[in-house]
Formats: sequence, structure tokens, C-alpha cells
Amino acid sequence: MSTGAVSMRKLITSNSLSMFGLVTVSFFLVITVAQIVSSGAILPYSAYQPSFAAANLPPSLSHPFGTDLLGRDMLSRVITALPIDVGIPLITVGLSAAIGIILGTLAAFFRGWLDEVLMRLTDLFMAFPTMIMAMAIAATLGPSLVNVTFSMIIVWWPPYVRLVRGGVLAIAAEDFVSISKALNSSFFYIVRKDAIPNVLPTILVYATFDVGSALLTLSTLGFLNVGIPPTAPELGMMVSNVTYNLFLYPYQIIIPAVVVAVIVAGFSFLGEGIRESLDVKLRPHILIRSNPAKELEAKSR
Amino acid sequence: MIALRDFLPYLGRRVLGAIGVLIGAMLLVFFIAYILNPNPAHLWAGARASKSTIAAVVARYHLDQPWYVQLYYFLQSYITGNLGIDPQTGKSILSEMEFYFPNTLELVLVSMVMIAALGVASGYFAGMHFGTKVDHAIRIFYLATWSSPYYLGGFLAILAFSTYIPLFPSGGMYSLTLANQPAHITGIYILDALIQLNGPAFISGLQHVFMPAAVLALLDFGLVARIMRSSILNARWSTHVKAARAKGMAEGEVRRNHILRNALIDTNTIIAVTFGFLLSGTIVIEEIFAWPGIGYFTYQAIVSINYPVLVPCVLLFTLGVIVANFIADVFYSLLDPRIALGEGGGSEG
Repeated sequence: MSTGAVSMRKLITSNSLSMFGLVTVSFFLVITVAQIVSSGAILPYSAYQPSFAAANLPPSLSHPFGTDLLGRDMLSRVITALPIDVGIPLITVGLSAAIGIILGTLAAFFRGWLDEVLMRLTDLFMAFPTMIMAMAIAATLGPSLVNVTFSMIIVWWPPYVRLVRGGVLAIAAEDFVSISKALNSSFFYIVRKDAIPNVLPTILVYATFDVGSALLTLSTLGFLNVGIPPTAPELGMMVSNVTYNLFLYPYQIIIPAVVVAVIVAGFSFLGEGIRESLDVKLRPHILIRSNPAKELEAKSR
Repeated sequence: MIALRDFLPYLGRRVLGAIGVLIGAMLLVFFIAYILNPNPAHLWAGARASKSTIAAVVARYHLDQPWYVQLYYFLQSYITGNLGIDPQTGKSILSEMEFYFPNTLELVLVSMVMIAALGVASGYFAGMHFGTKVDHAIRIFYLATWSSPYYLGGFLAILAFSTYIPLFPSGGMYSLTLANQPAHITGIYILDALIQLNGPAFISGLQHVFMPAAVLALLDFGLVARIMRSSILNARWSTHVKAARAKGMAEGEVRRNHILRNALIDTNTIIAVTFGFLLSGTIVIEEIFAWPGIGYFTYQAIVSINYPVLVPCVLLFTLGVIVANFIADVFYSLLDPRIALGEGGGSEG
């Protein structure tokens, strides 16, 4: 990336929104990785072993998230769900972005009938209501984690193709690409050296925001008991399994739902913050605000 | 404004494109459903159905035929407009959809009014106070509500405003104990009550629709607020606003006529787009608030892989998205005179 590591860091840390997002996202990523690597050794209690003596305990120091109706520690259960709830959205967005980069670059470079076919196909998939299509495909395929990821990707890739195609088209019109073509550079060389590095920042910002949306869709699938196997720990499903406890033990429903919201918020705040920092049009106004001397000067004008 | 002469061919092109997308959607849903589950007779007839019942279901829906024969019957049913019988309830699919859809429309339309009001107001204030605490508070609020899953919003609302402070009913569309129910005219309960001047039914309908619609609106208004805010930022520092101020125009007039008006062009279109978005959101909300809408109906069809019902429902949702996008494009071209309606007109491409 031409922005460089140092300025990228500055971009994130200069904006309180993206700073909050970065901290939240890193926090959950670390726990997720720790949970996967240690295969459950970091859990304070077993996530599966029932202990009826400790059933339905409200949040306390020994059980920060309380216990469920079988006496299982809710914190342990929430951590067990993180590999699915953080992993599947990341995989969905990552693969969708990859599909977008491949199809979008092909469409933008070759134009003609290939472009036409790819874009009509993208339009077709874009017109579907995401949630309903993902549900329909996941339900027909039957419950499994692979199937649910697959059905998410089916509805998730179209915006990436459009985004990449638009970006590559804009770059292909630049002089340096025409010169590169005139110098007989190969297609792959131009894509690797010119097209991808230039569209990547846009894709990254969009994808960061999008991981949150993917988690919302995934946990809604879980909440509706579609696609995710009943034995798999998933936060939305954890909520829907105990909805009848809403009035007696509301924390059993609210806590997993709030964890979903916090993870989604982490990704959205990070994406939104970076997007704003990258916005060239706003930059002069941000600079004036962040510099008291210049702010005074602006006022006195 | 654009001339009608330019507008009609544009309209024609868009309608043709929409029909193409619908046919594509139909075929896609058909193949997904039929190929992955070629013989769902057991699912439809029930686990304990006799052999003869299953045979009857197979014969009625042509399930023993190869896929192209099934496709033929499938397309035929859409051309003749006879969508057939729901294999699970035995009722006409079309009449079932006619019952469920207006209920969803009521929910979504009330919610859209709330979204427009909330989104425009909060986006305007955030944009006009760019970089201040007001701006940060508004942004954090809409990003946070946007990040919340529907079930969190739904359950919190029920807990807060129906259990702890009993202000609103926790589910349903109207009070069943009401003796004088309005007759079925449009199917939209509050509208029917209003037309027939049925005061108690109207108030009961409003009470029931308020909470689910408010949850939908509160969780989705961020989309509108975000666009409104960035449009305000675009308009605020543009040269024509500077020019208006330079020639001594009153500040209120500058804000109303030059900033707000320009920002509303983008925002109008995004409000139309939210319609399609909200339709999908109704599945969870209708499930939580026991709202007898098309989302609930579709969910039942999805869980039982009931594709004679699922296909028309998915098409209805797709149509909703297409119509919303179309209205957004038309709005855009009507409001913004700079948009040409030639090739690649509108927001597609």
C-alpha cells in the first residue's frame, strides 16, 4: 500500500471512532485465537458440563455473565461461540472480496461481453434480499457450518465485484496504465502492480465495515435456527434457545445479544473511522479542528 | 425537471430490466430449491403420512417428473397467475399472501416514516455540528444501534416498555377483545380502521404497531443518518453556499435553501432504498412481536423447505427491492436536474 505503515497507523489512532473499533476488534480477535489455539483451556468453566446446583445464577464475580438453566457458565459459553461468530464473518467477507477482486478486474479489463455477462449476473444477485436468500439456501442445504458459510458467500460477493470493477475502471483510464499497456506489460503485471494496490484501500475499508454486517446476518440465521447445527455454539442461537426465559432471567438473552452488538460495533466503528480519515474532502476541516492555533486563526478571519 | 419525452423510454428500459431480474430470480430460486431437494413430499405431507397421501402429494406437485417438466409446470403457474395450493395448509397461496403482505406493509411504512424523521434530523444536526460533541454523540448512537441485532432491540423493547413499564402490548397486530373490528378493505389494519372512522380500533392498531416499527426504525435509521450527514458535509463547504453567504443571504435561508435542500436529494433516494432493507428485517421482528406478516410466513416456508410458497415469497421480496431501487432512481432523476437519463442513467452501473 502506498500510504505506508506509519501513516496508516496515524490514520487509525488520530480518529477516536477507529481507535475504539481497533481496540474492540483486537480484543475479540485475541480471545478468539486464544480459544482456538488452547482448544478451550482458557475457559474459566466447562462450556458444556451441566451443574444443576448452579442453575440460573445472575451475573456475579465468580460468574460475570451468570449461568444458564443447566448451570453452565455463560462467559465460557460466549467464548466458545467466538470462533464461529468471528471466524465465519471473516471468512465470508475475505472470500467475497477475493471473488470481487477476480471478477471485478476481469470485467473492467476485458470489457465487452464478459463485462456485460458478469455485471448482469451481479445485478441479479444484488436484487435478492440478502437475509432471505441466505436463509433459503442454508435451509435447503441442511444445517452445517460449511453450508452456512457457503450460503452467506452466495449473497455476499456482488457489492465487491461492483466496487473493484469501478475502481479498476477509474485506474485503467489513468495515463500510467496506458503507458504500461503501451510498453507491452502483461495483463497480470498490470493487475498486480497497478490495479490491485490502488483498489485495495477502498476494499479494505468497505470489508472492515462489512464484517459486522456479516456477523449480524450470521447470528440472525442462528437466532432463527436456520443453517447452523444445533450442537454448534453460536451467539444468536444461544439467545433463541432461551427466549422463554426473557421475563425470569433476562440476562441469559441480553448478554449474548449485547456481545454480538459489541463485536459488530467494533468492526463498524473501525471501518467508519478509517473511511472518514481517508476522506480528502473533510481533511482540511479536520486539521483545523485538531490544531488550536489554526482554529483561532480560522475564527479571527 | 426532465421532459416526459426523455422519461418514458427511460421508464420502459428500467421496467424491462426489472422483468429480466425477476425472471432470473425465479429460475435461480427454482434451481436452488428443486435440485437440492428434488422430492420434499415427506416434508410436506408430514412424517407420519401414509403412502397414499405421499403419492397424492407427489402427483399433485409433479415431483416424480424430471426437472424440466417441473420447470414447465412451475413457469406455467406463473403465466396463468394460479400459484396453486400451499402443500402444508391446503389454502390458496395467493390468498395467503394477500392476507400476510398488507400486515408487513403496515409495519414497514410506519417504520419508514420514523426512519425518515429520525435519519434526516440526526444527520442534519451531526453534519451542521461537524467535529463537535453533538456530532460524536449522534454518530456513536446511530453506529451503535445499527450494530445491534434485531433480536436485541426487540427483546429490550419488550422488557422495557411492555414488562417493566407496561406502555405497549408485547405482540400481535390489534386487540382481540375489541368488539367492533374494522372490515377488511385494504388489509392494512390501521388504514381500514381510519377509513371506517373506527376510533378504538385505530388507537389499538397504532399501539400495537408502534413498538415493532420503532425497533425497526431505531436499528436501521443509521443508514439514512449517515448519508444525510455526509451530504450535509458536502453541501456545507461547497462554493455555491459560499457564494450565497457572500452575497449576504440570511443564514437561515442559506441553511434551508442551499444546504438542506441539496442534502435531501441523496437522502430521499436512500430512504426509498431502505424499504427493501426493512422488508428483510421484518422476519426477526415479526417473529418476536408475533406479527402475522409476510416475513413470518416466509420463515415458516423456509424452515419446512416449502418451495411452492417460498418461491413466490422470495419473488415478492425481490420485487420489493427492485421497486424500491426504481423509485429511488426516479426520485433522483426528478430531484437532480443534472442527472441525464441516457445510457447508464440512474444509479445503476
